[in-house]
Amino acid sequence: MREIPADTTREILRNLIAACEAKTGLLITKEGTSIAEAGDTSYLSTTAMAALVAGMFSATREVARMVGERQFSILLQQGESRHIHISLTTDTTMLVVIFEDIQRIGKVRHEARKVAERLADSLSSSRDSALVRSELSVTDFRQGAVRLINDIFRPD
Amino acid sequence: MPHISFHNKEITFKIVYFGPGWSGKTTNLVRIHARVEDDLRGDLVMLDTDQERTLFFDFLPMELGRIAGYAVRLNLYTVPGQIYYEASRRLILDGADGVVFVADSQPSRLDANLVSFSLLRENLESYGMDWSTFPIVLQYNKRDVEAPIAVGTLERDLGLNGITVIEAVAVEGRGVMETIAAVSCRIIEGFDL
Repeated sequence: MREIPADTTREILRNLIAACEAKTGLLITKEGTSIAEAGDTSYLSTTAMAALVAGMFSATREVARMVGERQFSILLQQGESRHIHISLTTDTTMLVVIFEDIQRIGKVRHEARKVAERLADSLSSSRDSALVRSELSVTDFRQGAVRLINDIFRPD
Repeated sequence: MPHISFHNKEITFKIVYFGPGWSGKTTNLVRIHARVEDDLRGDLVMLDTDQERTLFFDFLPMELGRIAGYAVRLNLYTVPGQIYYEASRRLILDGADGVVFVADSQPSRLDANLVSFSLLRENLESYGMDWSTFPIVLQYNKRDVEAPIAVGTLERDLGLNGITVIEAVAVEGRGVMETIAAVSCRIIEGFDL
């Protein structure tokens, strides 16, 4: 896999949003975690959004299997003034694009397909773990996390 | 396996509340949501039916604080307990770092507890996880019912040796914080980079 700087994922998303004049872009994992965000995110909880979209996509995958497909690679939710385009970028990540002009659906679809491979290349959890390891000691993390847990989840 | 992001400076763990229908999984999340300070948690998202039964899942995101600049996040999920929502349960368990099994202490629900735990075991195995070493906390909920199932019954019937057990009355908040603390600590013990 070629080396790509860690901040490239966000940059790819930003360019995608600009190219299709979308409002928001999110890259999320199939477990429901937001990895990268671009555009305006002030109007939504990206954490909850990621969890819900991941659930929705998982449910759709089961539906696909029922009709003999491995999965549906694209989901489109059309609203009155905002629409959501969701596409698989890798086996474990999804690209979510929120846009307002339904006439741009073709452009959104085209741009999403175009960046899928670059987004996939920009992600490497093993690289992230190695980078985090250079900054964070596992022992310190465990001790700090247990302190937080015991403090926040103190019984009544 | 937690989600680790160097770029976003965050480490996110997924905890799933599992158990038979009506055992109190959603109640656990509601009590945690009510008890934890606002700035440490997001909104509680509930996807339920008209009868207030969980349809797909409930979701509560939390950020416990920062360690060496990294945000420690917990995403709490419940699964629907009814037997016919098997597909939803399997999907939600995907990527879980730890599980709270919420058992119903009513004697009439003994079989439902056993069946539900068997499903949990099967689902974890289907994701290639060794359920015997996976972080699971067993919560005996509804300890205020008449003649509750004796603690030790499920462990014996299911062959669970050394599992962390907590007694609770979730509707009153009893045992709820102890449970989330216990499963979180189990997960953290096994954390590595």
